[in-house]
Amino acid sequence: NYLFACLAQYFTVTEFQHDAQMDYYGTRLATCSSDRTVKIFDVRNGGQILVADLRGHEGPVWQVAWAHPMFGNILASCSYDRKVIVWKEENGAWDKMYEYTGHESSVNSVCWGPYDFGLILACGSSDGAISLLTFTGDQQWDVKKISNAHTIGCNAVSWAPAVVPGSLIDQPTGQKPNYVKRFVSGGCDNLVKLWKEEEGQWKEDQKLEAHSDWVRDVGWAPSIGLPTSTIASCSQDGRVFIWTCDDPAGNTWSAKLLHKFNDVVWHVSWSITGNILAVSGGDNKVTLWKESMDGQWACISDVSKGQGAVSTITDTQQNEQ
Amino acid sequence: MSVDCLGSHAVLSGRRFLYMVNLESPSEPPRKIGRQSKWDVGTVQWNPHTAEAHVFAASSNQRVDLYSWRDGCGEVHTSLQGHTRVISDLDWSWFEPELLVTSSVDTYIYIWDTRDTRKPTVALSAVAGASQVKWNRKNQFLLASSHDGDVRIWDKRKPNTAVEYVAAHLSKIHGLDWHPDNEYILATSSQDNSVRFWDYRQPRKYLNILSCQVPVWKARYTPFSNGLVTVMVPQLRRENSLLLWSTLDLNSPVHAFVGHDDVVLEFQWRPQKEGSKDYQLVTWSRDQTLRIWRVDPQLQKLCVSDVVEDLMEGMSLTVESEKALSSQDPGEQDSGLSAGGRQDAAALGSGLPQTLQQEFSLVNLQIRNVNVEMDAVNCSCVVSAHFGSHQVHLVMKFPAQYPNNAPPTFQFVSPTTIPSAMKIKIQKILTDTSLQKVKRNQNCLEPCVRQLVSCLESDMTQEDDPTSSPFVLSNPVPPSLQAFPRVTNTYGSYQDANIPFPRTSGARFCGTGCLVYFTRPITMHRSVPPTEPTPRSLSALSAYHSGVLTPMKMRSESQSTLRLYSGSPTRSDKDTVSISSFYYKERKLPISASRRWSVQTLHDWPKSRRFKPKREGSDYSNRPIKLAGKVIIQEISCLLPVHKTLGESYILNMNDIQDTCQKNATAALTAGRRDVAKVTTDSVTVYVQDLSPDSDPDVETPWARPPVWTLDHYSQMSDVQTLAMLCSVFKLKLRLQTLNWIEEMTRSVSFSSYQSSSVTSGSCSSTSDSVTHDYLEPRSDIWYHALIILCNITVYHTCLFFFLCLSVGRDSEHPNPWGYTDPREREREQHDMNKRLLDPANTLQFDDFKKCYGEILYRWGLREKRADVLKFASCPPEPHKGIEFGVYCCHCRSQTRGTQCAVCKRLTFQCAICHVAVRGSSNFCLSCGHGGHTSHMMDWFRRQDECPAGCGCHCLLQSTF
Repeated sequence: NYLFACLAQYFTVTEFQHDAQMDYYGTRLATCSSDRTVKIFDVRNGGQILVADLRGHEGPVWQVAWAHPMFGNILASCSYDRKVIVWKEENGAWDKMYEYTGHESSVNSVCWGPYDFGLILACGSSDGAISLLTFTGDQQWDVKKISNAHTIGCNAVSWAPAVVPGSLIDQPTGQKPNYVKRFVSGGCDNLVKLWKEEEGQWKEDQKLEAHSDWVRDVGWAPSIGLPTSTIASCSQDGRVFIWTCDDPAGNTWSAKLLHKFNDVVWHVSWSITGNILAVSGGDNKVTLWKESMDGQWACISDVSKGQGAVSTITDTQQNEQ
Repeated sequence: MSVDCLGSHAVLSGRRFLYMVNLESPSEPPRKIGRQSKWDVGTVQWNPHTAEAHVFAASSNQRVDLYSWRDGCGEVHTSLQGHTRVISDLDWSWFEPELLVTSSVDTYIYIWDTRDTRKPTVALSAVAGASQVKWNRKNQFLLASSHDGDVRIWDKRKPNTAVEYVAAHLSKIHGLDWHPDNEYILATSSQDNSVRFWDYRQPRKYLNILSCQVPVWKARYTPFSNGLVTVMVPQLRRENSLLLWSTLDLNSPVHAFVGHDDVVLEFQWRPQKEGSKDYQLVTWSRDQTLRIWRVDPQLQKLCVSDVVEDLMEGMSLTVESEKALSSQDPGEQDSGLSAGGRQDAAALGSGLPQTLQQEFSLVNLQIRNVNVEMDAVNCSCVVSAHFGSHQVHLVMKFPAQYPNNAPPTFQFVSPTTIPSAMKIKIQKILTDTSLQKVKRNQNCLEPCVRQLVSCLESDMTQEDDPTSSPFVLSNPVPPSLQAFPRVTNTYGSYQDANIPFPRTSGARFCGTGCLVYFTRPITMHRSVPPTEPTPRSLSALSAYHSGVLTPMKMRSESQSTLRLYSGSPTRSDKDTVSISSFYYKERKLPISASRRWSVQTLHDWPKSRRFKPKREGSDYSNRPIKLAGKVIIQEISCLLPVHKTLGESYILNMNDIQDTCQKNATAALTAGRRDVAKVTTDSVTVYVQDLSPDSDPDVETPWARPPVWTLDHYSQMSDVQTLAMLCSVFKLKLRLQTLNWIEEMTRSVSFSSYQSSSVTSGSCSSTSDSVTHDYLEPRSDIWYHALIILCNITVYHTCLFFFLCLSVGRDSEHPNPWGYTDPREREREQHDMNKRLLDPANTLQFDDFKKCYGEILYRWGLREKRADVLKFASCPPEPHKGIEFGVYCCHCRSQTRGTQCAVCKRLTFQCAICHVAVRGSSNFCLSCGHGGHTSHMMDWFRRQDECPAGCGCHCLLQSTF
């Protein structure tokens, strides 16, 4: 066994952070905070250069999301001020590309869909609705709204990767696979809901019940080619559930409790290969979880309180070395 | 819960006991009345007539029990039985002390005479089950019942049919209340987030609507005029406050009763005592706390918006006192606390109208660079501020009626140095601000001053030379940040109950191998003990915020921060709640050591602060220093089963798998030297290297030695996963004869996981190889399990790649999955195998697999590698339908297709050499526009450098491209 030497890069930022996210290549970092700004840093080679300070929101900014780079450098942000702003970099300057004001309450979550579907953004708001904004070219955005998606409010949205659902449905080979647009959302009705687009209309596909309090975040795991769909959800009740579906039709989801934390869990995030889950919450701690061979989830790391030290990471698979 | 008509007792219902609370001395332990029932008490209500004041009715499933309470003990004296389903509501008549109405889901509404308990005197048949029933307060015959979203009005003399139907709401009605003074008017509260007011004579159109953002549980008129109290649906568990509204102005609540730690289940007005001008509201919350709120005439008057009264009466600062009684800590009486809370509310300037003197004494104007001299006698004050080089002196004069719809006047006096345009602008802003406030009879001094400061600051920062340091202003914080502190981090309004509490820490996997996380600074502490969970919603902030004294207990009922979020926040005073109210920072400065720190120092004042006519603007030492958080980017690629070095070095050559494997093995070894984590990786690749030379099916003794060696090697290492992986890899290219051998092999290492029955023959779709190969039956779940295992091992990357190599191998255009199972999965596996066999066409899944790997490569920036992988996808990109360059006719500039212009009929593009219209490959000079067939141009420019058209252009030099 061995310890990993982890390179950590520190930033000092003002006010309370609500989200921080790196772009697709990991070269830039976008942060948003309660001071109403979105900041973009260049973090290549361990540096930290403030590239842009995006002002436009009139309230605390809750979340940011980078679009796939094939569409250019595009960042979406959502705020308490009920607005979603899409920012675009052109010739080195960041500017508003689109401002969406169709929600009646704080917009809590934004998430870009897989690039196969074009530039499509899902936004979840405290007014209970989920909006889907699709760029149709020529500065035009098509808006579809799912009203009352979650009673009281929607707290999180996350897209499913664009893979063939179940992957084993008979489809003629040699043809472009027919991807279905799907995403998952979590809300104040304690539910996790799956949505699917059918004939241009968004429909509720599944309703997953396990949490006993508001669902704060959901994360659909990236695909690595397995015919399984996996979703993580976390809640005010301190529980994190892993939902899996092996059924090609996507109808039977089973829940497994990852852990019950003592405080609210705010955020879940999957690693790129979908085998590690980062969990963070009100206790100011970050933990990393990995599924072991027997299907149990084990904590492999505890990023302790604001210190940035990753303690021993024991890789269970490396024990022979 | 119900309060009796004398206002002395409240009855609380439990399953085993009814509890009687003496409201005169609520700290006394409640008395109990035992009951024997397996049903909970549905509704309980005291008889509202003084003659029958000792009687109360309690429903229990299908029965109503009438209790009498005398001399400290109570008993059931009679029961009313008649309903066949559970009773949903009951109500005593306001006119006849014996009459009681009950509603039930059995669709009947019964009116009982308690003197004859055998059967109801009147039965109203409603067809639909009723959830609420209420007697009219002015007409002894009328009553109203609610059925889902409908209301029916009944006359008890005409029991056959309802007098009126009102389709009141689209969703279920939770609450129904008749107007106390108007016979025709009632209010309904509903799941559809609204309260509607009806005159039942006009059932089609509601009189008025109160839109809330959340379902409304109960809306009840106040005993004083024009008031209405609402509570939210308890199941939501979000908003614990009761809101007081004026029915004359439903835009925003006039008051919030903040203090309950859990949702309010029931509330009732306590009958007014003789000689008292106060009303008392008794509330019962799910956390088993009973509270009594005093509503004094000032608060009552808020419900009467345009009555201007002399507010000088009642100089007492304590607007309401509160008596809390809880089963956990009985007898908590803290009027002192509420006095403090009240004072704070006034200081925030959003509460109730006060006299100017009061306002002056309570206003909090501790703002940098600002002095306010207040002169209560002359009803004026002078605000002097200096920002950079500018000075501002502003005189505010308050009219006698202030703040009752009478705004102060604003005048700049010398030595004000700001330009006159700005003066006008500021004056307008101030007038607007003050008007907004005084319209509601609210004070406006503090909002105005804050507005002034924010205007000045924002203008000054704009004027500032960008190169000039913000620090020249001799303050430690840049003014650009200073300009916004009151709004940048503000939250507030009761609607925030459905907005989740902001995250202050989080972690996210980003890019390929990074974990980005941010946390609160370690110096930030929560104002609640760590054992208490972080609140659910943003509205909790206002409670913490107002809880100046004991944030943990939240005993203050300041409503100061309850404001509607109105569109875009302006730089006014309105929202002062910040997330910093929840987290506070340890301070080492002695000056504020005794105070709880917060970003807004507004509420840091000691309770006993005395009136100060002049405030020094120098007390900045307890200005907050900016909060600093950290964002940390951590390299975690070592945790991932994929490695960029491998991704970079692995090659994929379908024509020579042997070579591919060898090269990859070398690459892995190279990477392995640098990284211990990949030792296993090399082994696998080495294995591949060993194996591959023998994979030619025509070799007589295939797989002779290398596999044996490998298997032994791994079984010694007890690396089950790798071994398993290898087994599955083997089978990929097995022919029948080798299969037997493998079977033996695997059995020898106790790995016989497949059965011969699973071996069927299939033909390879290969075009090059006519030999029929026998493959293992491809099975989806085997494939799946193998991958599950792969994901969990660090050789994932290599295996993944190896699979890719094989799946695109020369003699297998349709890739084969792996016939492997983990021993732990074996049983299930075998069972599954018997169940069904699968068709081999899972190419789409392999495509997904390649796509995902490609995506990872793309993130690493290895675009060419990605293309290498993706070109083996089973579905090639759509063939393009031909490409054509648009041509503009060089003569008439119209767009043409083909060689001849449709408009002017001339040739669009002529070869400068052969003078024939050009179609197909052509070259032309970007400078002069001449050109022609590529071959002609090539020939020409081999010898020349001037344009063949003779225009003199040095085409080769001009268009160096």
